[in-house]
Amino acid sequence: MTKEEIIQIFQNKFPERIEQIPFVGVDVAFKVDKDLILEVCRFAKATPELSFDLLACLSCVDYIDHMELVYNLFSFTHKHKIAIKTSLPRDGEIDSVTPVWNAANWHEREIAELFGMTFRNHPDPRPILLAEDWNEGYPMRKNWDGKDFVRLPKK
Amino acid sequence: MEKILSDYLKNKFPTDEFLTDETDENNLSNLSNPSGNIPDTMVDKVGAEEFLINMGPQHPSTHGVCRLLLKMDGEVIVDVVPYIGYLHRSMEKIAENRTYLQYMPLTDRIDYVSAMFCNHVFCLAVEKLAQIQVPERAEYVRVIMDELNRIASHLIWLGTFALDLGAITPFLYCFREREKILDLLEMVSGQRMTFNYMRFGGVSRDLPPVFIPKAKEFVQYFKPRVDEYEDILTNNPIFLGRTKGVGILDQKTAIDYSVTGPNLRASGLRWDLRKEEPYSIYDRFEFDVPAGTNSDVWDRYMVRIQEMRQANRIVEQALESIPEGEIKTKTPTVFRPPKGEVYARIESTRGEMGFYIVSDGSTIPYRIKLRTASFSNLAVLPVMSRGWKIADIVAIFASLDVIMPDVDR
Repeated sequence: MTKEEIIQIFQNKFPERIEQIPFVGVDVAFKVDKDLILEVCRFAKATPELSFDLLACLSCVDYIDHMELVYNLFSFTHKHKIAIKTSLPRDGEIDSVTPVWNAANWHEREIAELFGMTFRNHPDPRPILLAEDWNEGYPMRKNWDGKDFVRLPKK
Repeated sequence: MEKILSDYLKNKFPTDEFLTDETDENNLSNLSNPSGNIPDTMVDKVGAEEFLINMGPQHPSTHGVCRLLLKMDGEVIVDVVPYIGYLHRSMEKIAENRTYLQYMPLTDRIDYVSAMFCNHVFCLAVEKLAQIQVPERAEYVRVIMDELNRIASHLIWLGTFALDLGAITPFLYCFREREKILDLLEMVSGQRMTFNYMRFGGVSRDLPPVFIPKAKEFVQYFKPRVDEYEDILTNNPIFLGRTKGVGILDQKTAIDYSVTGPNLRASGLRWDLRKEEPYSIYDRFEFDVPAGTNSDVWDRYMVRIQEMRQANRIVEQALESIPEGEIKTKTPTVFRPPKGEVYARIESTRGEMGFYIVSDGSTIPYRIKLRTASFSNLAVLPVMSRGWKIADIVAIFASLDVIMPDVDR
């Protein structure tokens, strides 16, 4: 399936809600509204022409004024890969995609702990990586200032 | 949490025969610290004959620092909760405070027994973003290094796996051969394990003249060695008893949990990024992708044994056909990739290893996310080990080939 066909399927299902963006290393990348994310993911997995059965990576990026989540999906059947992006405010809430892929469970726990956002309906919202007595905020945020943390000047 | 635990203990010892109020409190503080966050499912539904048992974090079979909390019914495992993060160094945060090249030595520490792959995927991601061409010789060198490293990593796995099951001899055999590989890698990169060898657009230095004859010698030497390991293990009744039919991970669950690499192939899916999405120059070599049929511990063992043979085959072909020429494309001293985002992935020893890089056009990456195979592979452990005996958890855990720095990053 070509890039245009993939994006067309999504656009037919969610008219005017899909915004294509540049992304190196994947076939297609697009942005959706954060309220749609669970629906889009369900659709991406369940539609036979797409069948994105592997959640390869789930990342979060802090852009100071908002956060962005990046879902890297891959299909074993059709061998195509896409990236879905969604933006949400800091301290925002978003639906967990664990019902679609169980792999999202740990990734979301990690993001919730390091970036300080909330995943609605997450089955197991415990912290995962940081120390038990950690009380210095969310370390992966751009404005985080920990003890002895020296920032390299930008050039 | 303390309340849940106290309720649990009261259920367990309803007569308060063993616990007076004072000792109760003491015991609780011991129990809840440092374990702390026990998921509710673990303590809520503890049956009359069930109990919790702790394994790790310092346990010889956890291959690093991983703690497992087991809910047992007699000898049978009811549930497992892995606790990770003991080796969390926040590689991703450090990346935002280093230039691209300064981050290269740190990638070695992500998965220190197969560090070449971490180097390679980081280079691949940056090269994709900045559209840097890699000279042919450098690609060959990278493939040789990758595959030698794959053999070394599988050897350390095989040795410790057999050791966990009580067989000491394979461990000594495996480390004998592994040391030869590490000597080769040290000859090239200067380091035994944390190589810091690859660079954007190539590799840091050329192969020394003695390397190719030495490596050819090793390839021939290694071929019968794999048979030797198989002689000890493959048909050994004790080994079969511990591994055949144990820890079954069906294909659907494996994909659902994003399990990749040998673990996925043992579940019957013949999937290898080197074949399906050839990066570097893997499309030039002949090799097979082994796969299992029963998705059990034995299949995962067999897949890795076969992979060592195939890796050796690739090294042999690459050594025969390596061309002369440049080893590195010139990149600017102050390296600034263009603005943009990239996701690159390779087939590392443990599965799909991916780098997601966001560049804002400066010398420092804006964000790097490491997608490591072990992180996803470990998440499936609870599903696999339910219903097995406590002795099997060691075999199941070891068969996943999880390495803790790769999980925690």
